[in-house]
Order: sequence, then structure tokens, then C-alpha cells
Amino acid sequence: MPGENEPVQPGGVTAVSERPAESALTGWVTIVWDDPVNLMSYVTHVFTSYFGYAEAKATELMLQVHNNGKAVVSRGSREQMETDVDAMHGYGLWATLEQG
Amino acid sequence: MRDFTRSGPTILMKLTDYEATLLESLVEQFSGLLESDGEEAPEVGDSFARWQAELAEPDLLDHSDPVIRRLFPDAYSGDAEASGEFRRLTQSRQRSERLAQAEVVMSALRDSEAGSHRVQVRVIELDAWLKTLTALRLSLAVRLGIETPADAEELDALDEDDPRSYIYRVYEWIAYLTENLLGLR
Repeated sequence: MPGENEPVQPGGVTAVSERPAESALTGWVTIVWDDPVNLMSYVTHVFTSYFGYAEAKATELMLQVHNNGKAVVSRGSREQMETDVDAMHGYGLWATLEQG
Repeated sequence: MRDFTRSGPTILMKLTDYEATLLESLVEQFSGLLESDGEEAPEVGDSFARWQAELAEPDLLDHSDPVIRRLFPDAYSGDAEASGEFRRLTQSRQRSERLAQAEVVMSALRDSEAGSHRVQVRVIELDAWLKTLTALRLSLAVRLGIETPADAEELDALDEDDPRSYIYRVYEWIAYLTENLLGLR
């Protein structure tokens, strides 16, 4: 994955305190965790049909979940990420949100 | 004739009498699990408890059941309070959606008259099928104790007369149905 090994940007704290409105709109991520039950084809289907990702991107994310144990599948506000996590749970995927 | 075919907006699935009845009973059990109440009803005559129960957003599901915990996992890892709040806001809708999806599957199975006709899966209702089949597999996986790929391999190698071997074959069969439906979407 490009960007995967980039260092975490520590500068966010300053930006957050200066611009709270903007930080409320972003800064959260939805993570899908690997489980031994869900089928690879099904997970890819969920990523294409719910997020609207192209097949290639959905497959790449699915493989990241499978091989690395987890993947960030979306980014945005806390509220948006709660919506995404709720949807993932509805599909039977194991998902959490956190500040990214 | 193949077991799965697509005819325009409908996928036709050929199930035996036994398979259709088995799937019906699994879906029925699943709906029953979602309908069962986790809270004990307040005692009659205790008006304060009743009033409290009415005010509180009721926690409708039995979270001591590991299947329920797998179907409604924590949204915030390591933050029980935020996860609880998330659950309070999403669970009741999530539950009724799951019941409605299970009903889509049930009604198609009933229409097949125990597999004497092909089961009709409407493509616009495919997600209801996929979500329900997935929920059935997750439930069976919890009962079978599948937590790692190695657990599944162990079950795969079990002796035929081990009761878990039968449940594992059902679990694998639902995966087969799911893959075939996905292939025709």
C-alpha cells in the first residue's frame, strides 16, 4: 500500500486547536478487522457496494484486511465514521472507528 | 440444469427438500434470537420500575450471548462507554433491519415449498440474502468456536461422527450458497 509506511503526522494537534471546525469534519477513520469467517469475495462486494469503490481498490483493501489483519476503509468526521461502522456491522463485518 | 441460474432480475436457486427446510429452520432460529429480550420485565405493581423502563432506551438484546456480541460488536475498541452509546443509538434499527432481511429470505424459502420449486432470489433483494447468510455463518462460527483460520482447519479435519463436523459442513454449505449468489449478482 502506498503511504502505509509514512510516519504519522504529529502536527495535527496545532491544526486542531487553531481550526476546530475543520477538525470536526475529518480526523476519524473506519477500520475493518480480519476475521476467519467472512468470505474474501463478500468483503470485496461490501467495499464496492457500500463505499462505491472500484473493484481494484475494493480488492486491495480486502487483501490488506486479510494479510495485515486490518485496513482503514474510510476517513472523515466522527459522525460519518459512525455511519460507516454501523453499515459494516450490518454487513457482518467487524469494524471500529478511531481518531486517525 | 445448474443449481444457480440467473433469469433477468431473479436468481434461481435449486435446493433439495432437506436443504430448504434446514435453511428455513436456521433463519427462524436467527430471527428468534433477535426477538428474544435481554431484559427481564419489571414486576407487576412496581410502578416506579415500570416508569423507569419506559423512559430508558431498552436494551433489547441479550448481550451475554456471544452470538449477539459478534453481531453487534463494539464500535470503539477499548472504550466501553462510547461503544455503549453507539449501541444505544444504532441497535434497535439494526435489529429491525436484520429481522426484515431474514423475512425476505424466509418468504422466498416458503414460496419454494420446501424446495419443490426453485428458490427465487430477487437481485434487488440480494443484499438481504447475503447479510442474512453471513449472519447465519457468524452465528454458527461462534457456536463452533472459530476464532482463527486454524480453528476452521481443525473442524474440517474432524471425524464424520463428531457432532461438530455436521455443523461445520452446514457452515461451509452456507459459504457455498453465498459464493454462488455473489457470482450471479
